[in-house]
Amino acid sequence: MPLEIQIQKGASPSNSATATIKLIGSLDTSTSAELESQLGKVLKEPVKEIMFDLAQLKFISSAGLRVFAGVRKQLKERGGQASFIHLQPQIQEVFDIIKSLPGVAIFKDMAEMDRYLAARQKAHQDQI
Amino acid sequence: MTMELRARPKEVMRAVEAFQEFAREQKMSEKLAHGLALALEECGSNIVNHALKGDARRKFRISIERQGAQMVIELRDKGPAFDPLAFNASPSRHEDEEGGWGIQIVRRFTDAVSYRREGRENVLRLMKLIGEFPGPASNL
Repeated sequence: MPLEIQIQKGASPSNSATATIKLIGSLDTSTSAELESQLGKVLKEPVKEIMFDLAQLKFISSAGLRVFAGVRKQLKERGGQASFIHLQPQIQEVFDIIKSLPGVAIFKDMAEMDRYLAARQKAHQDQI
Repeated sequence: MTMELRARPKEVMRAVEAFQEFAREQKMSEKLAHGLALALEECGSNIVNHALKGDARRKFRISIERQGAQMVIELRDKGPAFDPLAFNASPSRHEDEEGGWGIQIVRRFTDAVSYRREGRENVLRLMKLIGEFPGPASNL
């Protein structure tokens, strides 16, 4: 099964340093390199928050998780983070086993994520 | 069903898709088939990337068979002897030590997994009971 990658930059009106990446299909040993390549281009820009929408992701293996771990590390170094939304049960199960992505945020829907991002932005502004 | 595959990631996914088709024919539940497909992907990609170093000229074999109430997958490669089950992976390992994730996934989604060296071959065998039989993976 192939992987379709849809990238939308500045998706959140409250934060232009945000990118939303929708993954459709299978993130596995044969498709993870393409995602890594696409993420490399996104990370050349001053993006601090990346939200992965996994509503249509059907399959993920450790090859995909390693890509997520890599992007999480890079975002953390620039004071940002990766978040995940709309995990299907079979994807959630793999995330649960690994429990390996500390520092990432997982949301059930956009409303929950928007509330979280607004709170983060407010905290950041309060620090300035 | 036995497949001879070249050491390429796409070949691993070809085997995964063949397994998924076979599992549908055998009326294996979608949930269990998904888990075993994931275990197959992990083991196959381990062979391609590590045992055969991604050399597409080299080949390995995957056999998929239903044995009564069990679905059995056997992977054979002629790489250096390596027992993936000896790799001590636990969820408490440091977050950056990602090498153990694959074997954690394999153990979670199989009912039994075994390794043996047979002549010049690594032989890894995965077994899953067809039906909802909870319980941790053990060695065959």
